[in-house]
This record gives sequence, structure tokens and C-alpha cells, in this order.
Amino acid sequence: MLLSPAMRVFLWGASALAFAFLSPGASAQKGPKPAAAQRSPDALRAIPLPPDAIGRLKSGDAGQLAAALDDVRMSGRAGAPAVPAITELLRRGLPLALSQSALETLADTESEAATETIAWYSHHRDTSLRRAAVVALGRTRGPAAIGALRAALSDPDVAVRGLSATGLGGLKANVAVGDLFVALDHKVNEAARSIGQLCLGNECDRLASKIGLVTFDVATSGLEPALLRPEEDVNDEVKVKIVGRVRELGTAEANRFLTGVQSKWPPRRSPRVKQALDQAVLATSASPGSSSGSMQ
Amino acid sequence: MNRSILGVAALAAAVACGGGQTRSNLFSTDWEDDGGASIARVWQRVGGATVPRSAEVAIGVAGDADRMIGLPLDGGPKWTFAHPLDARPAVAGGVVIASGGGEVFALDASSGRLVWRRPGGGLRLVGAGDDGTVTVTVLRKPGGTGSVLLAVTHDGQVVRQVDTSRSLGAPAVLQRLAFVPWSGQYVSVLDVVNGDEAARVTLRDETSRAWTQGGSLWFGGGAFTRFDERIRDASKGKASRASIATRDLPGTPQLVPSGNAPVPAVAGAEDRVRAYARPIASASGAVIEDHRTYATYFRIAMGFDADKAKLTWVRLNGPSFVGGAAESGGVILCDEDGKITEIDGRTGGAVSTMDFGEPVKSCVVSVDARKVGGASEEVKGLPAQLAEAVLAGDPQLVAAQKMLLRELSALPADSATKALVELASDPRTSPALLADARSALAARRTGATYMVAALGRHYDFLKDVLLAPPVGPLAHALGAMKERAAAPYLAAHLFDPADTDDDVKEAAEALAAVGGASELPAMKQFFGMYRANASNDDMAAAVVSIARALLQIDGKAGRAALEAAAKDPMTAGEVRDRLGVMLRGPAAPAPAR
Repeated sequence: MLLSPAMRVFLWGASALAFAFLSPGASAQKGPKPAAAQRSPDALRAIPLPPDAIGRLKSGDAGQLAAALDDVRMSGRAGAPAVPAITELLRRGLPLALSQSALETLADTESEAATETIAWYSHHRDTSLRRAAVVALGRTRGPAAIGALRAALSDPDVAVRGLSATGLGGLKANVAVGDLFVALDHKVNEAARSIGQLCLGNECDRLASKIGLVTFDVATSGLEPALLRPEEDVNDEVKVKIVGRVRELGTAEANRFLTGVQSKWPPRRSPRVKQALDQAVLATSASPGSSSGSMQ
Repeated sequence: MNRSILGVAALAAAVACGGGQTRSNLFSTDWEDDGGASIARVWQRVGGATVPRSAEVAIGVAGDADRMIGLPLDGGPKWTFAHPLDARPAVAGGVVIASGGGEVFALDASSGRLVWRRPGGGLRLVGAGDDGTVTVTVLRKPGGTGSVLLAVTHDGQVVRQVDTSRSLGAPAVLQRLAFVPWSGQYVSVLDVVNGDEAARVTLRDETSRAWTQGGSLWFGGGAFTRFDERIRDASKGKASRASIATRDLPGTPQLVPSGNAPVPAVAGAEDRVRAYARPIASASGAVIEDHRTYATYFRIAMGFDADKAKLTWVRLNGPSFVGGAAESGGVILCDEDGKITEIDGRTGGAVSTMDFGEPVKSCVVSVDARKVGGASEEVKGLPAQLAEAVLAGDPQLVAAQKMLLRELSALPADSATKALVELASDPRTSPALLADARSALAARRTGATYMVAALGRHYDFLKDVLLAPPVGPLAHALGAMKERAAAPYLAAHLFDPADTDDDVKEAAEALAAVGGASELPAMKQFFGMYRANASNDDMAAAVVSIARALLQIDGKAGRAALEAAAKDPMTAGEVRDRLGVMLRGPAAPAPAR
């Protein structure tokens, strides 16, 4: 069934609104338009790519092109057939606004075929385009995306660096953990969370050793995902050591963090780690300012 | 000739009371030029006499300007003398003369032993001369314009005092005749025995100091005038005279510090920015020793050819230089840390060092016939010396560094290019210097290896490389040199967002000159990324440069892509216009690749 553009916009808006209400963890970093990634898979499947979209992408008319990009974007992954046409547009060159829109659209298609072209724009002189490109690379994936994001950790723009670090975590780019540690040492705080998503063994312990060197919030933004990862990724020994390091702080914020992890601990996960968490929460509950302490 | 010379009895009262004396009109401007007759008579009288040697010693003013340290340059033992000082000490003959604490006094220069002291009445030392038996000092009230000339024998007896409204300069003494510069152009010869003004000569160079050195009596200011048989023609500009070639030196250093006022006991900027040269007698009358002059600018020392003012060496010191003197074969400089370095005038290398043992507030170096002894340390070539000086991260040195940068830029050596690259790449380089360094680099036509290596660097946040290399100047130079090896590096800089728009413009233009088929993919990528969003003139120019290269390298395909871009309304206006002109124009000649 073909939908009119007005109906498509309505459906897209409705699904995005529903998703926003249903997703408390939705990212604060949003483009000018709600991204397809913020919609449920059902919603994505509900909006097929209009058959004339690719033709409009090749029309050479800026207005038609912009509308076609919107259509592809609303189709999300279903817009993949339009990826070659969009990448060709970016390779031939577009004005800034359309370039930005094209990059965001390619991100929503999550097509690895777009990665190489998007990587070009991770070096563009316009900061907004670079930011859009590194966000897109985190979604289109592939080895080229990892390479480009690692390079972008050294970008002159602080936001590009942070988005690149976040993207590497999302791509499960274990190969980039070393770079992420260097980035964290250079105050790219987003690197902590990505390290927590990627670290293995000693790497997780190394992240825990950053407590005191980076702010507590930054350190725990990486330690929490590390603790909550399956045992086959991060073994109990490492997790217990992490809990121990936080426990040693004996502060209210340590207590709050441990309590938070305790509350999220999956029921059938390691009882040994759970016990360490329980004991750490108890040990830090008397810390001045801790919620546990104030309840006693 | 009006004159008023007070007797010894009046002198004691005058100095003790610090003023209130009958003023003398000895140094009257009513005097009519006698055509050199009187000075010729003086020459006849004392010209055959041996000029006593001056002590060769360095005097450091230490502490709170309340202590002198004497360091004989012949290696004799160091001495100290504690006494408040209100003006810079002077070395004349074998004595050191100083004022302070209400006294004027003289010390034996080799031992620091007190030779004589007199009440000074708060007058400060302007200058002094000594012929081995009598010391003549010129003293002045703080802020005053008049002068007191005081002649004291080595046994402490005042033999003459003259109180005048004139500002007298630093005197010299020979055979009990005091040669006293004044009014910037006269030297009066005062007989300290009878008080007569035995002669007067008018000099054609600004003159405020007289001194003995190397067996001659000299008058100095803007140039050096020798007291010899030609002095009679001084008013006609025919005296024996030596001067140095002039050039613009930072801070306009003085060759002979003004002798018209007391020099402060503590060194100031004029002591740190100084020129040094040593006049000697010659067959033609007078020349500059070794044909070399020297200059300091805080902690930079420089050697010059005295005839052409050509820079021959540069030396970077730790602390600032605060005093020194030229000698035969070199120069002796002392710095504020109390180190004294004897420097080979030919190479700039250190020959020997001495040490006051503590920091000094100022320094006076006296040499007579001393010659540089020993071999110089090995020194780097001038390009490396200049590089070291211009790369010194010291804001105080910028004015000198700008001059030295011009010198460095004029050298064709590859190492000069290397230094310019380093200077233009160093985040510590002063903005005032950076612009000059970039301009100089753009004009280089040697040292391509260093320039290509520099282009290989990029801004890298994680590696703490927070300053891009000077891409624009490097690209400009390498493009002009047709340096093919630079092409891949230039291509890489098209995509470095840390480079400036101007850098990208220059890189594109150079790449159009030296790029080939290997760079074609990068050129196509750049054209595609920016032809529709060139945000300013520089980026538009960069796109057009690359378009020109595509037209030449990519044949029909390149032309087709450019024609399509020229028709596309999404192509940036300026780019589209220039593409149209390019495509309509005659085919550009294919570059040599």
C-alpha cells in the first residue's frame, strides 16, 4: 500500500512519540528530526520505501531530493535500497543542509554499504557534518566504521571525539579499547562507558583503577556496564575486584552507585558477585549522606 | 676665557657640604675655535708619553648594590669590597672608582684595597680617569645638571675641584691633564696642577666619554676618536676616527654608553642591549680591532663584521648579559648570574669562563691590551646558531629573534629550512614571530626533505599534537619547487579539519602543481565533498584548483564531471562561475609529472 507523504509523516510522528514515552533511556543526542532508530522495529516495518524515492533522489532537484531523503529516513532499514543513490549524491557533493540530511538518513538505514562514504565526511571541515558522520558510522557499522571512529577520537572537536568514543562502544570494537583508554586520559569522558562495554579481564580492572583519576561519575559510567555484562565477557573475579575498589571509597556516592547496581542485578547472575555487592552496599551504607545510612 | 678654579681648601668644604660652591664658567661657550692650535700644543706636550695601562678586571655589583666583587682577568684572586653604591663603578688606570654612602672612593683594581676616599656630599659618579698618580672624577647631584670635577691624588689629597653648571662627561687623565668631554662635542683639557684650561677641541661626532686603552687616549660616543697628531684637525672632521657600519639592531644598542649622567648601579635594559667594539691605533689613525663588533640583546650575543655589519655568529646564553668589553680577538661578557664568558670573536665559541660566584646586579669589564687566549669551543654553523636563537621560547627576545629570523631566511642551507619549519610548527612561538616564520618558509626553495616531513604531521588530539604544521607556507614552497614527493602529503591535508581554510587553499594549489594519477582519488573526493558547500573564498579557490588538476589528469572523465558540476545549481555559486570560465577557456598546459 502506498501512503501519501502526509500520512507517512503522521505515522512516523505517532510511532516516534510512542517510542519516546516507552523508552526512558532514549539518548539525549538527537538530530533535528527524530531518528528511525528511536522507533520500534514494528514501526520501521510499517513504513515501506516509496517506489519513487530513488528516482527523486536522482532528480537533481534539491526540493525533491530533500523530500526523498525524509522518506528514506522514515523507512529506516527498509530504506536500504536507496543507499547507493544517497552515497552517490554525497560523493558528487551536496550543499551542507542536504549533506547533513543524507548522513542522518544513511544512519537510519543502518546499511554497512554506506560506511565508506560516510567515513569521508568524518573528515569534513564542517563540524556539524563530522558529528553527523560519526553518529552514522556507529550505526552503519563495519571495519571501516571502526577505523574512522578510532581516527575521529583525535578530532579537534570535543563533541566529535565524544560521539566517536560512544560509537566504538556501540560497535563492540574491542580493538579500540587501547585508544579509548588514551581518550579517557585526555578527558574524553564518553570513553569510560565504551570501555565498560568492551573491556576484558585486566582492561576492566584498569578501568576501575581510574577511580580517583577521573570523576566518580565518569568512572562508574563505565563500571556499571562492565559489572552488568555476562560472566563470559567479564568474569566474577574481575567484577568482585571492581566492587571492592568502589567499596574502598566508603563514600555516599559509592554507596549510591553500588545500590544502583545491586537493584539492577539480574536474578540468575553470579551469587558470588551479588554477595560482594550486598556486602559493599552494607559496608558503605553508614557513609555520611548515603541513602542507606540515612534510612538506618 | 672665563674661568673659576677653586683651591684645595674650598674643595674640601664643597664636597663635604655637597654643594653651595661658587660656580665656575671654566667650560664657557664663548670660546672661539682656535683651529686646533691649543690641542696641537697639548699633543706636542704629552703625545710622546706612555699611556698607562688600564687594569684588566671585571667588577660585579652584587647584593643590594652594596658590594663590589673584583675578578682580575689574568686569574688573580677575587676580591670583595662592601660599600653602598649609588652609581656604576668605573675602572680607570689601576683603580676602581665608585660613589655611594656619601663618599667617593678608589680601590686598587687588582686587590680591592682602598686607595683613597673622600666625602662626596651625595654626589654621584659620572665617570673617572686615572694616570697612575691622580684620579679625576666627575660627579653630579641626583637629577642635577651641573657637575663637580674632583682631582684626587692616590694619597688622598684633593688637588683640584671645579664646580660648573655644565654637564661634564666621563674624563680621562694623562700626565696630570684631564681630558673632559662636555656639551656633546667639546673636549676641554684641564691642567689639574694649575687649573688652566690648556686646550679645547671640537669633535664632529657626539662625544661624552674619554678613556685610555691599548696605549691610546680615546674620545667616544657615536664613534671613536683617537688623540694623536691629527687631533688638531678634529674640528674639520679630519681626526683619526673609527666607526662601525650601522644596521638596525633591536633595541638600538649603544656602542659607547652616554657619559653625560651617572649610570645606575643596577643594570637596566640599556646594559642588556649593548654593542661592543674596541678601537685600536693603525697606520690610518684608528680602526676597529679585528674588524668585528659585538652586540647583546638580553641573553643573545651576536658577532658582526664591523665593515659591513654582516652577522657572523649568534650565541644564546641562559641569563641576560649585563656588561662586557671587546678585546683583541673577541669579547668578554658577563651575565646576571655572575658568569663571565670570553668569546672568540671569529666563531662565537666560548674560550674561557670565570665566575663572580654569585648573581650580580651589574658588571663593568675593563680590558686594555688583552687578547683572547686559548682555543674556542667547537660551535655549530651559523644556521644552527640562528635556529637555536630563534627557537628559544622567550617573549623578551622576540625583537632580536625577528632580526635573526631574517638572517636565517637569507641562508640557503637546508638546515635553515629545518629551523623555519620547527619555528612555524612550535606552539610556543610568539605570534609576532610566527607570521614572519611562515612568510619566510613560503619563500624557501631549499630543504624540501624537511618540508615534506613536516607535511607528514597532522593535528592529533590523542597524541597531544595540538597544532597543525604550517601547511600553507609548506605547500606554497613545495608547489613552487615542483616537489613531486609532497603530493600524497598535500592530498592528505585536503581532509584535515584542523588545518585552516588558507592551508587547504595552498595545499590544493600545490597539489594541482605536483599531483598525479596517484592523487586522483583524493582529488575527486575533495571536489565532491566541497564543490557544493565551499563556505568561503579560500575553500572555493581550493575546489577550483583541484578542478583544474582533474581537468588535466582525468581527461574526458574529469571534464565531464566538471561540466556536470558547472551546470548543477547545487554547486556553490563562486565555484560554478569559475568552473564555467575554466571550461570555456583554452586548455591548460599539462603539468610535468
